[in-house]
Amino acid sequence: MSPYILAILLFSLGLGTTITFSSTHWLLAWVGLEINTLAMLPLMAQNHHPRAVEAATKYFLIQASGAAVLLFAGVINAWLTGQWDIHQAAHPLPIAIITLALSLKLGLAPLHSWLPEVFQGLNLTTNLILATWQKLAPLALMLQIQPPHSSLLIFLGLMSTLGGGWGGLNQTQLRKILAYSSTAQLGWMILVVQFSPSLTTLAILVYVVTTSATFLTLKLNKATNINMLAISWAKAPALMALTPLVLLSLAGLPPMTGFMPKWLILQELSKQGLPATATITALTALLSLYYYLRLTYAMTLTMFPNNITSTPPWRLPSAQLTLPLAILALAAISLLPLTPAAMALVAL
Amino acid sequence: MVKFLFPTLMLHIHADLTNYRLMTLITQSSGHRLMIAMINVHLTLKMAQWLDEQHLNPYMAQTPYLPHFVLLTCWLLPLMIISSQHHMATEPINRQRTYIMLLTSLQFFLILAFSATELIMFYLMFEATLLPTLMIITRWGNQAERLNAGMYFLFYTLASSLPLLVALLLLQNTTGTLSLLTLQYSNPLNLSTYADKLWWAGCLIAFLVKMPLYGAHLWLPKAHVEAPVAGSMILAAVLLKLGGYGMMRMILLVLEPLSKELSYPFIVFALWGVVMTGLICLRQTDLKSLIAYSSVSHMGLVVGGILVQTPWGFAGALILMIAHGLTSSALFCLANTNYERIHSRNILLARGLQMVLPLMTTWWFIASLANLALPPLPNLMGELMILTSLINWSPWTLALTGAGVLITASYSLYMFLMTQRGPLPTHLIALDPSHSREHLLMALHLLPLLLLIFKPHLIWGWVS
Repeated sequence: MSPYILAILLFSLGLGTTITFSSTHWLLAWVGLEINTLAMLPLMAQNHHPRAVEAATKYFLIQASGAAVLLFAGVINAWLTGQWDIHQAAHPLPIAIITLALSLKLGLAPLHSWLPEVFQGLNLTTNLILATWQKLAPLALMLQIQPPHSSLLIFLGLMSTLGGGWGGLNQTQLRKILAYSSTAQLGWMILVVQFSPSLTTLAILVYVVTTSATFLTLKLNKATNINMLAISWAKAPALMALTPLVLLSLAGLPPMTGFMPKWLILQELSKQGLPATATITALTALLSLYYYLRLTYAMTLTMFPNNITSTPPWRLPSAQLTLPLAILALAAISLLPLTPAAMALVAL
Repeated sequence: MVKFLFPTLMLHIHADLTNYRLMTLITQSSGHRLMIAMINVHLTLKMAQWLDEQHLNPYMAQTPYLPHFVLLTCWLLPLMIISSQHHMATEPINRQRTYIMLLTSLQFFLILAFSATELIMFYLMFEATLLPTLMIITRWGNQAERLNAGMYFLFYTLASSLPLLVALLLLQNTTGTLSLLTLQYSNPLNLSTYADKLWWAGCLIAFLVKMPLYGAHLWLPKAHVEAPVAGSMILAAVLLKLGGYGMMRMILLVLEPLSKELSYPFIVFALWGVVMTGLICLRQTDLKSLIAYSSVSHMGLVVGGILVQTPWGFAGALILMIAHGLTSSALFCLANTNYERIHSRNILLARGLQMVLPLMTTWWFIASLANLALPPLPNLMGELMILTSLINWSPWTLALTGAGVLITASYSLYMFLMTQRGPLPTHLIALDPSHSREHLLMALHLLPLLLLIFKPHLIWGWVS
């Protein structure tokens, strides 16, 4: 792809999200989401592989229908209440529809089945954008609307942590596993969005850091399934010793950074008088933990005690910059002691 | 606190910078650790003068029974390094360094867990110890089943301790604090509903699984059998005690009014477990598995002692935990010396070792007698105090505890007689003689045990 076109696409990707961030009008928010989607599609289909084109088509259909439903609900809202303001959307019907449309766009269970399929067709860089930047715009809208049905959001959250955990159990493809992991993580954020939006912000921040570290590691090793991960320790031994910690941070095991949002979300839920929900959510995290742990096993914990006799994989020097990966991995592992600072950062 | 934490952190750097030789690495690292333990011993002795009074001591801002666990941790970690020398000898130097760093972080987390003054900090560190332990089991174990064992270990512990986190957060909402220092002065909780009972269970079950209580103990023998010697040692000696320590803390601080009735089923399970796991030991052919089940059996007594909630019960539980920590760790080391020579954990393959390794037999003898609680060892004192408080609670427990004591004696003797006495099997040729490293290891385990009985005041905490 020509660098000029790539630059235009990336700028539009940023522009769409920024428009959605800064809009107070439903129509403009929709415009931002559409620009975002349309800029993403060529990036997805840039290497003309049938699988990538298929993924781009699926992504287009899902995002377009999500955006259409969103626009539809915005119009109904204008019809019923007479104004287009995002903050003042008070009627329960359009807000419920908008919540569902946004959860389709985000890939929350039970509207998540497109996500693993799309992830599987793309390369790891595009996946990284899809798992982090593309989540921001819909999540920003989710933060702004006043949720009418607390039970709807809790249902979506629980289904996502459960579905995200369950779906990843039998996968051997890393991209699918990370897609399910994304669903599960977003479930945690959605659970708490109505009680403490700033906590959701903190959670997405931590998720972006941990998942970026994971994707960059996989990209460095060019690993897309568990078997390739299992032989990549020879390429970067030190990195492969750290990566289990990053993965378990994604799983939310103390003392890593990933435990911070989980802890605060559980605290908020129990403060809101939902201890049963908190317990169930915490236990569904064990489902996700199982597949992270399997990756950990394959990567580091089953290494040969001594030098192996089989031929190691071909080692080409990678052109990828390692500094971002180093910073992200360190942040993903060791920021838990900074919990008070992080809480101050998002003004909890 | 900083007196132990800082040197412990420095061990990371030490492992990285030290000379390119295994012997140097291991000697220096364990020597350094022993020095930390010595500072700890010094402080503990100093604290003995505050033991009689129930107030906080100026060294660790803690109640009297805590230094024991920190001391146990600091004492056993260097022993773990000494014991895994043979295991590590064939590894490349970088992996040896990683291994020592792993043990160092485990020590760091354990010290923080035992000295936490916030319940949430305790919880964090309780969970943080899972990760190094998991790595010790699955990365450094030998058989393929270690992966399963690691899964069992992690999921049993996490499934029971995530409800504990929610329970702690709820407690914080009710009382406004989780500080161990101020929690006892907050208003007594009004616990009457079913939800409160569930909360009670949530607070306790994590520790009961960690202990482990009979019925939730299946992860322990697996983990012990698959872990390398250091993993078995730390599991039996310190990590199980984390459960007992947490139970004591929680019961004393917040669970008081409900525990009287709700603890019945758990006491029943614990005492039933003493007998059942003892019987399992009697028909065990796997040496490490035998010692692991014997741990479950002893921990059953500890759970019983804690749950009847009398000062004697607590003191007995504390004494038994310390004594069992040293004893079981010593037994795992002995099992490992066998394993390093025979390359099998099977008891039937390593019989009659007295003929070839007579001095080791002495250590086996003392360790077995400690395991079956022979006077004058502190194990006996712990068991007697627990038995007494249980009889005081209900005389019928004598049937179970009495049978338990009898069975413990039988399987300890079975273990000793099978491994040490009798004719030497003909396949045992060209065994290594026992190294002075191994004798040092056993002496460092068993001498404290023998010495403790001269001043039991140090480990019995409350009763004075």
